[in-house]
Amino acid sequence: MIRLLAGVLMALGTLAIGAPALAQAGPARHVTAELVSSRQGIAPGETIHVALRQQIQKGWHTYWRNSGDSGEATRIKWELPAGWRTSDIIWPAPRRLPVGPLMNYGYEGDVLLPVALTAPASARPGEKVSLNARASFLVCAEICVPEDADLSLTLPVTATSAPQDPKWGDQIEVVLTAAPKPAALAAAFQPRPNGVALAVTGAVLKGADLADAYFYPFESTVIDHAARQAIERGPEGLTLTLAPGYGFQGGRAPQVLAGVLALDGKAYEIAATPGAPPPGASGLGPPPAKGAGVSNLGLAAAALFALLGGLILNLMPCVFPILAMKAASLAGHGGERAEARRQGLAFGAGSVLTFVILAAGLIALKAAGSAIGWGFQLQSPPVVAVLALVMLAVALNLSGLFEVGTSLQGAGSGLASRGGTLGAFFTGVLAVVVAAPCTAPFMGPALGWALTQTPAAALVVFLALGTGFAAPFVLVSFAPGLLSRLPRPGPWMELFRKALAFPMYGAAAWLAWVLAQQAGAEDLAKLFAAAVVVAFSAWLLGLAQRRAAAGGRARGLAVGAGLFSALALAAVVWPQDKAAELKAEPYSPARVAQLRAAGRPVFINYTAAWCVSCQVNDKVALSTHAVASAFDRHKVAYLKADWTKRDATIAAELASHGRAGVPLYLVYGIHGGEGVILPSILTPDIVVKAVEAADRS
Amino acid sequence: MNIFSRRTVLAATMSLGLAAPAFALPQLGQPAPDFKALDAQGHERSLSEFSGRPVVLEWTNSGCPYVGKHYESGTMQSLQKKETADGVVWLTVSSSAPDTQGYFTAPTARSWAAKERWSGTAILLDSAGKIGREYGAKNTPHMFVIDKTGRIAYMGGIDDRPYADPASLKGAKPYVALALADLKAGRPVATPISKPYGCSVKYNSAD
Repeated sequence: MIRLLAGVLMALGTLAIGAPALAQAGPARHVTAELVSSRQGIAPGETIHVALRQQIQKGWHTYWRNSGDSGEATRIKWELPAGWRTSDIIWPAPRRLPVGPLMNYGYEGDVLLPVALTAPASARPGEKVSLNARASFLVCAEICVPEDADLSLTLPVTATSAPQDPKWGDQIEVVLTAAPKPAALAAAFQPRPNGVALAVTGAVLKGADLADAYFYPFESTVIDHAARQAIERGPEGLTLTLAPGYGFQGGRAPQVLAGVLALDGKAYEIAATPGAPPPGASGLGPPPAKGAGVSNLGLAAAALFALLGGLILNLMPCVFPILAMKAASLAGHGGERAEARRQGLAFGAGSVLTFVILAAGLIALKAAGSAIGWGFQLQSPPVVAVLALVMLAVALNLSGLFEVGTSLQGAGSGLASRGGTLGAFFTGVLAVVVAAPCTAPFMGPALGWALTQTPAAALVVFLALGTGFAAPFVLVSFAPGLLSRLPRPGPWMELFRKALAFPMYGAAAWLAWVLAQQAGAEDLAKLFAAAVVVAFSAWLLGLAQRRAAAGGRARGLAVGAGLFSALALAAVVWPQDKAAELKAEPYSPARVAQLRAAGRPVFINYTAAWCVSCQVNDKVALSTHAVASAFDRHKVAYLKADWTKRDATIAAELASHGRAGVPLYLVYGIHGGEGVILPSILTPDIVVKAVEAADRS
Repeated sequence: MNIFSRRTVLAATMSLGLAAPAFALPQLGQPAPDFKALDAQGHERSLSEFSGRPVVLEWTNSGCPYVGKHYESGTMQSLQKKETADGVVWLTVSSSAPDTQGYFTAPTARSWAAKERWSGTAILLDSAGKIGREYGAKNTPHMFVIDKTGRIAYMGGIDDRPYADPASLKGAKPYVALALADLKAGRPVATPISKPYGCSVKYNSAD
């Protein structure tokens, strides 16, 4: 009864107050919505921005274009006079809104969602235009409520551009400026065992703070939104490791990974295509934790940490073998304390000086504007490849396959034979040079900090690092007690040396991994081939040395070893000719039909990574300039049907051409008809003739 | 071979913990995880008891507007009625934790079923979120179809209209109904995966 009465009263009240009250009726709302304009009017033919403003109740949120694991994006349905047009919503970068084990993307607080509004040229100045819209949005806290708002905005049509709206002009401008935009970024994605690697490089990422980097996909099925996105920095950009979403199941993968890359208050639109990562997207490790570690340290503390870091460096796999051998040889001077001291000091001077020279070089490069960090030596794939081979050679030497002088420390002790002091100095230099690859992963953040400081401060940190590095050796040479406690040289050294080979093999393996990250599987294969050649030449050299020791002739073997090593080195540093590489698009029967309908000659390469003859054909025929220019001339569409993984469509297609496997090369002419099957062994000439024929028939 | 390598990769992902999913992501074509739960009648039910029959899993939350769209219009109940008459097992799962929206006890689940004229096989009470996490259920309604051999044949939304607005039902492509039709006809499911949509499942905040 009371309810009925209330209803009647409400109805009466509604009648009395009139229409506007209707819009306000209903239960308490969680979002107050209105339309606002950046300008006080709009001229005929002009485009200005208007925005849907949402004032969202505290603790509640609305959604971005991809709402994440649940929810729904805000929508605006416009009712405009004839000739008036609006764009889609220009979405500001969203925020992450975790809900239990799920993740949503959306907005909280006061939000402006801008839209471009274009007036028709026929709009008449002096008139007023009414823009009506129904905004629908889901607003959620723990629970979700769909809300609608019928909104309206009236703007005068002005003869010329109207002035900015005093209240909203600036605010809309700020939102538009900050909105994600394309920024000439190269992006590629690649499924890997530990997730989908999304690699992005470009000028705007160089030197940017990547600690908060995050990829918001436009599609909701491509990634697991709630999974952590692991960040790996590179000299030119970054690589995010994403947990694949449903879109990667059932042997399928998305054609494109499009979305917004947000970092440090900025946001860029990216569209990653499948393929190998662009160079420079990784190799520098994860970003240093924000506000933690060295960033807040004073110079004194940083120097102390550098000193400790230097001490720890002695234990690194690249360094320890050298120092251990040197220390053991020092023990040989047991009786000559003065000589030991002299050598210790010389070693210390050599290593500290080398550190300072490296630091000075870095500071100079930094001043010249290069965006580099410590470990910059490791950013170039050829350098990494050569270092890997050097590590391998050192390891093989420690294993006893061949000798250099007496052993590895010969690089220093070759000189040492002439003067112990000079020899020790060079051992110090060598130790730092060899230590460099190991410092990159372990010392990176600390040295990165040092490089952001003044040159003097940076030098102090590097000096401390060098001092820490040299300290143990110098200490041993100065403390007679320690020195006498070192074991005497003897047959055990041979055993010890062979055991020490394994950390060096480990270092080589690590560098190979770095190379795979930087340059991909092909360069890794090249490195491995070179490694086999290096091992072979090391063995040849050892053979030569043993023969020479036995009084035999061994020059031929030694020369052979040298030639092979040179060959291996050349192979890994030789720049690859990528100019002639054909741009392939992925194969699908629909795409073939589409291209044929468009009257394009179509070349389909049915291939697989494990098919050797396919790879040979790719290299000797398809990747030549002659073929590239023929494809270009005849506007040939080049499709790659990759059968590396099982694919029913491709298998059926192969069967229909009487093949059980790859390679198969099919060329379709511009005037339809059956495809021409090319021989399984291609030459550039065969391919060029086939595409010429396809453009005629 | 294929199964093995995929599992190995998954296991490797988990053990590395690098980009491990926040919770399980079920795999299309793989055996659906078995489970045990009490239903609204107080009986213990399991997936394995229905082996040999197609099974539909429907995540629900009585307070969610997206669930409301399908129950107030009656489309959910009529699909339940039609499919169960056809021999399909329809399990409606509530993973809402206590004190969250849509939390079901046996009596509240029974009264909701009566009020909505719910027509499935059983309502499973999963307030601990165990089944939900096992299946990676994100939304209400999040739908799974399991084929007669116990493998996941479909997962995603109930249709292609991820909107709360009841007007969106018109002309929607009913993915679940289509998947079941494909299974009955012995065809491969044309759309085996779609975007799940709706409210978030109101899990307890144990993690």
